[in-house]
This record gives sequence, C-alpha cells and structure tokens, in this order.
Amino acid sequence: MARMKFLCDDERCIACNGCVTACKQENEVPWGVNRRRVVTLNEGVRGERSISVACMHCSDAPCMAVCPVDCFYHTEEGVVLHDKDMCIGCGYCFYACPFGAPQFPQAGAFGMRGKMDKCTFCAGGPEKDNSKEEFAKYGSNRLAQGKLPACAEMCSTKALLGGDGDVIADIFRNRAIKRGKGSEVWGWGTAYGKPDHPQQQAPTGAKS
Amino acid sequence: MSKTKLSRRNFLLTVGASGAAGAATLAAKAVPQAQPVAAREQKRRTAGYQDSAHIRNYYRTAKV
Repeated sequence: MARMKFLCDDERCIACNGCVTACKQENEVPWGVNRRRVVTLNEGVRGERSISVACMHCSDAPCMAVCPVDCFYHTEEGVVLHDKDMCIGCGYCFYACPFGAPQFPQAGAFGMRGKMDKCTFCAGGPEKDNSKEEFAKYGSNRLAQGKLPACAEMCSTKALLGGDGDVIADIFRNRAIKRGKGSEVWGWGTAYGKPDHPQQQAPTGAKS
Repeated sequence: MSKTKLSRRNFLLTVGASGAAGAATLAAKAVPQAQPVAAREQKRRTAGYQDSAHIRNYYRTAKV
C-alpha cells in the first residue's frame, strides 16, 4: 500500500509561493488560515534556502496523540485527516505539531478558536467523496479523482514533491546522486542536507 | 369516601403516570447515541490513492 508523503527539495525551491496560492485556490481556504506556507532559512545570507511546509502527514502524528476527542485518523494511504464534527477547537494539536500545521480561523469572536483546519493532502474528509459537505468543510478531494495535491502538481520547479513515498524518494535520490550532494548521498542523516558554508551564521539581529 | 374525591385521585394518578412516561421518552431521545466504531470507520473510508494516468504523468514530469 502506497504511503502519501510530501518532500521539498530545497535546491529547487525558489520561494515563488505558487504552492500556497494553489492550495488556497483549490480548497477555498478562508482568510487567516494558511494550510501551506514557504519558509526561508538564513534569509539574506549566502546559501539561503526556502522550503514549503504544511502538514507532513506523520506516521506517528503528535496531533493525533494529544487530541482529547480523538478526531484525527489515518487513511489507508497514511494521510492524517480529522473530523470537524468532533473537533472542539481546544488547540492542543496546534501546540503539539512541530510544523505549525493546525490552523484556526481568525474571524470569530476573541478567544473563540472554532474548528481546526489543516492540509488534507487534498484528500477531503470523512464526508462522502467530492460531496458539497466535504468541500465546504475540508476542501477538494483530488485523491479520490485520481490526482495529487494541487500544491505539488502546481510547483513550477518540481521542488515540492507529493505522492507515493517510495516513488518521490526515488525521484529525490536520483536528483541527489546527479548533483553529488544533498541528504549526504545517500542516507537520511539529515532531512535537508548540510550547510554549504558551515562557517556562515544567520544574522543575530544585533544592531551595528 | 365520596365519589368525587376518588375520581379526583384517579385523575391525579393518571396525570402523574402519563407525565413520567413522557419524561422518560424525552430523556431517551435526548441522550446522544454514541456512533458505533464500525460505522465511523466505514464513513471515513474513501476512494483514496489510485495509480491513474494523471499521477503517472506527474511522476514523469517530476523526474526531469
């Protein structure tokens, strides 16, 4: 059984935010909710890197472990989804997630979180596949249509890879072998490679 | 005991019994029934990932 994964190739990401826009457009994500965003590391320093981050659909998901109402579940493909009818908006998942994936709408009254929203790997939710109810709560269910997440398909440089973990790992491995660097060819010692210039440090923010 | 008093008691007994029965019915309706786990699992099942031509084409373009 295929396991769905995202992988962002930092050598290719140009921080165009196409993935963010594709996600918002495909799922009609409301203002204040960012299911996906591009993070730039060591901005302004030689060797800066950008990566696109969303829910990583963890195999041992911390959000799932802390949820007091047990609204999270894994699909057969390993996608982490949640049931908005069960969510009480406590925010525990927000604190547990190392990627900042769970989002809460900002439009409600002060102190009212509302239902949690996050990347669904474009796999909808527990409602009937591609129904109106499913779209209103979770957005598009592209997986059921035989497609992959809009963000990965939209990526112009194919930096953001999404799909069967085995296939995208092969694609990335071949890229790393061709380049002769990255994931310290080949092994998952570090997820996004080692810095090209270890002596360079990110700015500390101290004024000169 | 007069007939009037007896009928009044019967009336009160009837009202009390029917009221209790009504309240029990309402309570039974108000308690939310837990969704069986099997039904929940069934609801969550989706068509999921398919090895479609569209997806194969995506993998091909990602290899470039």
